[in-house]
Amino acid sequence: MIKTEKLCKSYNHHLRHEVRAIYDINLEISKNSLVVLTGPSGSGKTTLLNIIGTLDRPTAGKVFMYGHDITSFSDIALSRLRREKIGFIFQDFHLIPRLSSWENVSYPLIPLGINFNERFERARLLLEKVRLGDRLDHSPEELSGGQQQRVAIARALVNNPEIIIADEPTSNIDDETSMQILEFLKELKSRGTTIIIVTHDPRFEKVADVIFKMKNGRIE
Amino acid sequence: MSKHINLFLLATDNLLRHKTKTIVVCLCIIAILSPFITAIAISEGVRAQSQASVEEGADLYLTFDEFGRNTAVPLKYLDEIKKIFGVTKVVPRIIGRGFLQNKLAVIVGINHEDIPKSISCISGKIFENANEVVVGQELAKHFRLNIGDQFSMRGQQRKTFTIAGFFSADAHIWGSSMILMSLKDAGELFGKGDVATDFQIYTLPGHNSEIATDLYDILQNEPYRLQDKHMIQLYFKKGFMLKEGIFTALYSVAFALGIPAILVTSGFGLSERRKEIGIMKATGWHTLDVLELISFEQLLISLLGATIAIVLSILWVKYLNGAFIAQFFIAEIPMLPKFTLPSRFLPLPCFLSFFFAFILTMVGSVYSSWRASTESPVVSMK
Repeated sequence: MIKTEKLCKSYNHHLRHEVRAIYDINLEISKNSLVVLTGPSGSGKTTLLNIIGTLDRPTAGKVFMYGHDITSFSDIALSRLRREKIGFIFQDFHLIPRLSSWENVSYPLIPLGINFNERFERARLLLEKVRLGDRLDHSPEELSGGQQQRVAIARALVNNPEIIIADEPTSNIDDETSMQILEFLKELKSRGTTIIIVTHDPRFEKVADVIFKMKNGRIE
Repeated sequence: MSKHINLFLLATDNLLRHKTKTIVVCLCIIAILSPFITAIAISEGVRAQSQASVEEGADLYLTFDEFGRNTAVPLKYLDEIKKIFGVTKVVPRIIGRGFLQNKLAVIVGINHEDIPKSISCISGKIFENANEVVVGQELAKHFRLNIGDQFSMRGQQRKTFTIAGFFSADAHIWGSSMILMSLKDAGELFGKGDVATDFQIYTLPGHNSEIATDLYDILQNEPYRLQDKHMIQLYFKKGFMLKEGIFTALYSVAFALGIPAILVTSGFGLSERRKEIGIMKATGWHTLDVLELISFEQLLISLLGATIAIVLSILWVKYLNGAFIAQFFIAEIPMLPKFTLPSRFLPLPCFLSFFFAFILTMVGSVYSSWRASTESPVVSMK
């Protein structure tokens, strides 16, 4: 489903102080698997995840998704891919502060032309699923870290994505919520979703189908 | 279509949520546009009134010409010109200026029977007897004059005038500081009883060229100047275009100084916006969706700002009488004119105002938004 070939990403490319975040990454991720990327800080986990998730472009190498080389995709094509296939869960949640929970969840549906009522209904169902049915109109600042992360998960699922990309989804939240998120991701996997997670949490490693350990920008 | 409606509604919502930014940008637009719209409206009003006066006026204007300037025409030619075939009426006028105490007044001398019917905005009556005058509102208010009051012009103390009536506030703007009197009185006032500043010649349609030939026969040994209605209209147009041009040039400088203010305010909260755009892109928004949303926001804010600016301009003209700006287009009037100022709010300047506001706000926001939305989402979200 996802395959990378000699994937490299460096900053200040061709300059004297070039920093190589990842290099020569070759990996394959099959459909409906739960993949965990681990490794020490600065090992290039998030960089790799961002490139696989089309949020960033590699300096060299290729990423294939559904057999297509997405590194050659245009900006519009990448946006379409994210819109239709990928849901993101970020470490810092990345919710829009002035919007309520349900508005944050339904935000990706706006450019799809889905009307207000349907957007609200879809957001409500998802927020109920992540046990935030009573926090529909709360803004992110009125929610705890765990609640914010659950709103972010609901947002990631609003387009029914085939791939969930999560960057340290439990690093800023308490243990109990972390367990809930883990259970939730397991449930998603059981319904056919491919999940790629960057995490230091050993509980995720226990349920992972594949674990990629990274060190100094390479997979060990 | 429903996508565009969604984006439009979201843009409206964004403006309402960012009240401070919306208000500040609107105020900038209003501060820039309102004086401009007011000035254009006054200029158009004065121009329209001038053109109407020329339209209603004579077909030919005869003056003498000395040193390349218009000079007075001797009245001895009046009867001869009246007899020219095709001439329906000849009106000799004296138009000059004089001080009533410390205030400059326009003196117009014309025979009672030649007064145009359009001059009907008078309280009291038109002069009938010698030394009777009609006085403009500006002068009447300034000196608190009443009908029956007597006055003399500065430097001409031996001649005393009696006020027979006043031009009302709705009269032509040039009636505001005018003193209308008989041709004879005006001649005596200026010590030139045998000349007029010009002859207004009314003609039958299509006879102007023949009349010009006959005038040449009569005045061939005199340095005279004959101008038709079309030429007078051209002078007016040129004069107004020059004034409007100077005003626009001056305003452009002020406008240019105002642009940075708009740019700063419309880019207000840019880092927050940049991050938001990154999130939008990460969740599947296209760059064009982002730009459409931003454009709707700027469209709405420009419409709001320009509409308020137009309404304020109308109030400025209606209730403040174009204070501070009217002086630029009408010479020798006070900062707060005491007569009704002519104005015309034409659709084109109003549309252009909105267009300027739109361009200005777009310049302040679209480039930065485009940059943010074409970057990798991971960079924008930082």
